[in-house]
Amino acid sequence: MMEHTPKISLENVTYRYSIGTPFEKAALQNVTLGFEGGIITGLMGHTGSGKSTIAQLLNGLLRPTEGTVRIDGQDIWEDPKKIGAVRFRVGLVFQYPEYQLFEETVARDIAYGPHNMGLDDDEIRRRVEEAARFTGITPDIFEKSPFELSGGQKRRVAIAGVMAMDPEILVLDEPAAGLDPKGRAEILGGIRAYQREKKNTIIIISHSMEDMALYADKLMVLDHGRVSRYGDAHEVFSHAEELKSVGLSRPQITKFVMELARAGVPVNGGIYSVEDAYKEVLRVFAEKKKGAK
Amino acid sequence: MLRDITLGQYFPGNSVLHRLDPRMKIFLIVIYIVTIFTANTPVSFALVLASAFVLLFLSRIPAKLVLGGLKAVFIIMAFTAVINIFWTTGEELWLEAGPIKIYREGVEYAIFMIVRVVALIVGSSVLLTYTTSPIALTDGLERVLAPLKVLHVPVHEFSMMMTIALRFIPTLIEETDKIISAQKARGTDFTAGSLAQRARALIPIMVPLFVSAFHRADELAVAMECRCYRGGEGRTRMTRLHLHARDFVVLGAHIVLLAAVIALNIIF
Ligand SMILES: Nc1ncnc2c1ncn2[C@@H]1O[C@H](COP(=O)(O)OP(=O)(O)OP(=O)(O)O)[C@@H](O)[C@H]1O
Ligand SMILES: [Mg+2]
Repeated sequence: MMEHTPKISLENVTYRYSIGTPFEKAALQNVTLGFEGGIITGLMGHTGSGKSTIAQLLNGLLRPTEGTVRIDGQDIWEDPKKIGAVRFRVGLVFQYPEYQLFEETVARDIAYGPHNMGLDDDEIRRRVEEAARFTGITPDIFEKSPFELSGGQKRRVAIAGVMAMDPEILVLDEPAAGLDPKGRAEILGGIRAYQREKKNTIIIISHSMEDMALYADKLMVLDHGRVSRYGDAHEVFSHAEELKSVGLSRPQITKFVMELARAGVPVNGGIYSVEDAYKEVLRVFAEKKKGAK
Repeated sequence: MLRDITLGQYFPGNSVLHRLDPRMKIFLIVIYIVTIFTANTPVSFALVLASAFVLLFLSRIPAKLVLGGLKAVFIIMAFTAVINIFWTTGEELWLEAGPIKIYREGVEYAIFMIVRVVALIVGSSVLLTYTTSPIALTDGLERVLAPLKVLHVPVHEFSMMMTIALRFIPTLIEETDKIISAQKARGTDFTAGSLAQRARALIPIMVPLFVSAFHRADELAVAMECRCYRGGEGRTRMTRLHLHARDFVVLGAHIVLLAAVIALNIIF
């Protein structure tokens, strides 16, 4: 399915929670998938499809019940004692990560990960400032307690805390969930700017087709532990029926433009953002005017 | 993982034991414990052990689960058994090897001790914790202790506190799990370094845990106030407890068991 060798991949991975208890449950069943290096991949799937489980398998927080996780072709569990090093290579921002803040000040909280990596103070300071810049944290809150911040600000601090570890691969589980549109745009835009500068590998887990169409380079749709679609927004969203069957739908604006087209307005399909739709509609108007003259 | 601990957890079901009145169960537990400690001959111990397994059978709870819970106390049992075997002196010497002397009484004590602990854990967990929902349990406790209200003991408040505490144990465990994972992802290492370093590694776990626990408590208090909770005074109940025939049948069985144990103690 993939042209390149993946940066990080799961091979026939099965994961069961609570093995040996009456609550045993298979969250993933024989899953094989790979993420390309150097781009942002949007991982999508319905609730309970195993996205968060995959995220934790990727950085070695969970060990596959069966199967292998590979980074650059190397099995990360080859030497279980060295799994700590994998966690520095693969950064993971959890779903609703606000609860992980604990330090006295914002700056020290962001510095916690880099500090654990054993970096020197200058390097740590540089990384904290850089991560704060990408996540839109202004220096005036550096010395505040993280518990005084608003929910959205806490989210940024939590993301910055992992970004500052500068991992080769960064996995973010629903980084924009529950934020207002402006906050979403700022956080996702910041993640994109960060990726463009570092050229590292980023995986964003999301439910939002709108966001992923805008900010991800490739989209991967999961269905029952299988990759049902992989490609850019255009390729994935052209399979509307299939998306619907896995509980996802195309962006509202795409649907809207399709409706316009169906109603006889000569717009082009394949539009995934309000901005593009706006331009397209203006174009159609301009052409109409020209035609009328 | 933390959440896999099952000892002392409610296991939903619809067996006879599940349907017993919680007040009766508290009463039964007392009789049962008295029975266990009354037994003092091999035959009565056998009866006590058998009764624990009858209860286990009646509860329809997977035996694997309940017996798995015994693993937690296995080390303590093994340890005391060893002490009993080697250090109890008696009249009938069974084995002598150098300084080690093993008497019949020592072996007997060790076996009795294990039977007692197994019967106690299996019997009481099956009778109470596995088959009684925490809500029913505290409800039952509140009723059983109600007479203490005369002495100005805040029985209702205690049982409400207990209900809330029990309700939030799984939530807190889940939360602890989540926080540990999140900090591990940021490179916290709980296994390396000196004792002081390991203790320091707990700060990133404890701080968020306390913060969220206080936060939750605050929210819960406000939510209760919004629904006009103001203590036990004049508060009516959604579910009323009624004693049924089955409650008395099981009570009768327990009394017969106790009588049988006493009789067996005397006969043998
Ligand atoms: N700690 C756990 N113990 C037991 N089962 C779990 C646990 N975590 C997740 N599961 C189960 O595993 C399955 C996959 O869960 P997961 O959290 O990976 O889904 P998800 O795709 O991230 O969902 P969402 O979009 O709601 O975040 C679910 O069916 C869930 O019930
Ligand atoms: Mg999830």
